[in-house]
Amino acid sequence: MTEPVLSVRNIRKVYGDVVAVDGLDFDIQSGQCFGLLGPNGAGKTTTLALLEGMERPSTGSVLYRGGPLPKGYQERIGIQFQATALQDFLSPYDNLRLFSKFYDAPLPMAQLIEQFRLEEFLHRDTRRLSGGQRQRLLLALALVHDPEIVFLDEPTTGLDPRSRRDLWDVLQVLKDQGRTLILTTHYMEEAEILCDHLVILSHGKVLTEGTPATLIAQAQVPNLDALFLQLTGESLVASDEGAP
Amino acid sequence: MKTFKRSLRRTLAVLHARNLEYLRDRASFGWNLVFPILIVLALAVVFSGPPRALFTVTVVEGQAPDMLAFPGIEAVTASEDKALARLSRQQTDMVVSESGGTVFYWVNGNSPSGAILELILKYTESRPLERGQSDGEAIRYVDWVVPGILGMNMMYSALWGVGYVVVRYRQSGYLRRLKATPLSKFEFLSAQVLSRLMVTLTASALVFVGTHLFLDYKMVGSVALLGLIALLGGLSMITLGLAIACRTESKEFADGLLNAITFPMLLLSEVWFSLDASPEWVQAFAQLLPLTHVLEAARAVMLDNAGLGDIWLHLAVLIGVCVAGMAASVKLFRW
Ligand SMILES: Nc1ncnc2c1ncn2[C@@H]1O[C@H](COP(=O)(O)OP(=O)(O)OP(=O)(O)O)[C@@H](O)[C@H]1O
Ligand SMILES: [Mg+2]
Repeated sequence: MTEPVLSVRNIRKVYGDVVAVDGLDFDIQSGQCFGLLGPNGAGKTTTLALLEGMERPSTGSVLYRGGPLPKGYQERIGIQFQATALQDFLSPYDNLRLFSKFYDAPLPMAQLIEQFRLEEFLHRDTRRLSGGQRQRLLLALALVHDPEIVFLDEPTTGLDPRSRRDLWDVLQVLKDQGRTLILTTHYMEEAEILCDHLVILSHGKVLTEGTPATLIAQAQVPNLDALFLQLTGESLVASDEGAP
Repeated sequence: MKTFKRSLRRTLAVLHARNLEYLRDRASFGWNLVFPILIVLALAVVFSGPPRALFTVTVVEGQAPDMLAFPGIEAVTASEDKALARLSRQQTDMVVSESGGTVFYWVNGNSPSGAILELILKYTESRPLERGQSDGEAIRYVDWVVPGILGMNMMYSALWGVGYVVVRYRQSGYLRRLKATPLSKFEFLSAQVLSRLMVTLTASALVFVGTHLFLDYKMVGSVALLGLIALLGGLSMITLGLAIACRTESKEFADGLLNAITFPMLLLSEVWFSLDASPEWVQAFAQLLPLTHVLEAARAVMLDNAGLGDIWLHLAVLIGVCVAGMAASVKLFRW
């Protein structure tokens, strides 16, 4: 493999007396879809915030191509937060235009509108969008500046099976464009389909990591759901697709 | 230069988005314009009669005349300038001052109450008297209160329009999303300030003109100078609002803080009534409040045709508040 695009070296993040992230070490390869799994409160969102440079680790370091996060790092990454509010009374169009202005060389709006299929609700108040439409808009906003790395915190939580699959298609396109995707999810099926490499966290620590196939093979379990249950001893968010 | 253009582009984009948000929020937009006009109209109806039946005498210094002990005569104290200004607006009926055993007194030649008080004074005062006169027109309460209401409206619009809105953005997570873009704190804050300044000035101008259609209130001074007062006043309130919002995480707490700031101004900055009769320390405290300076300057221009030379000190205070408020906001701001 080539040089990793992002690495974390023994990072910890402490909030008061809560240890949210407790000594993580892993590499993320360029062009990879990297999945962070773990039960609620495992530290997934916090880990993303450290990788995004939104928060500083209490100890340890986050490396971009082997060095500290560079000055224009914000411009190389796109972020879709777990929950993002937008301004009231603005349409998807207004938001796209606003975010495009933040960057020097934004992608053409028409291209984003088409790629994320924003046309049918382009001029609606964003507060009136459905969950799936909203996620597509937030994703488009994360991609206006054509970033090389895209962070996605539970992009499909709360979506119906149809919208979830639609979003998988969109993410697959991003992968095919050669972007590095870093995502968290509670859906094992999603991780299995999209991700090349998984890290399973619990209580801020890595339980195990590897490709979905190796993880399943090593643990001698039928699927990721079973592996996850075995590792964390906790039940999953109920799958709305009646998965086993 | 390139960085500047880039910065300007981002600032204008945020400004535009904020303006759209404001303009599309029809309900609050309309209310901001209609509410102050309603207050002015209501006051015009309530206070349409003569201001008060009582005589008031303003004492400048020295041993006050015995006449002031009479029932029905209210005595207040003030500096000579203030006292004479009030006399010319017929807010007081007589001004007296004693020095070296002589009682100096001034009455307004247009005021019948002044003439009556003068008679009483002549019959009751044993010390030598020296007469002065002022001929100003009476000003109605409405003339006096219109600048107060414009200023009050500006205060609320500026403080809540930035303070509360920025905290709402923070609480909803929108600021966090913006933090993940190249937008800088200064760009974001400037856009908020500019947007609200445009709103506040436009609303004030519309209310100013709107109330003038119904009520012929007094405006004798320079409109340009009044505009400058509004600009600096609005800006100082806005930066004050920003300073409050720069770290506050909860809307409820922001609400409390904003109330804690606006309430003293509402009471002590002479929005509704004059503080001439209140204790010295209250008046001194009032000088710490930006709205006091806005209103003193605005009334001087609207009622007494004051020029830049008369009100520069008020303007200097407001500029100081703007600079301090903006510096503190940029320094302390957290997304
Ligand atoms: N700003 C903060 N202050 C204090 N504690 C925090 C903060 N952010 C996160 N935590 C704590 O750190 C731990 C990890 O939180 P985190 O949000 O990273 O979990 P998560 O894996 O994303 O969970 P979920 O699946 O529910 O989104 C939790 O115990 C959380 O309460
Ligand atoms: Mg999370």
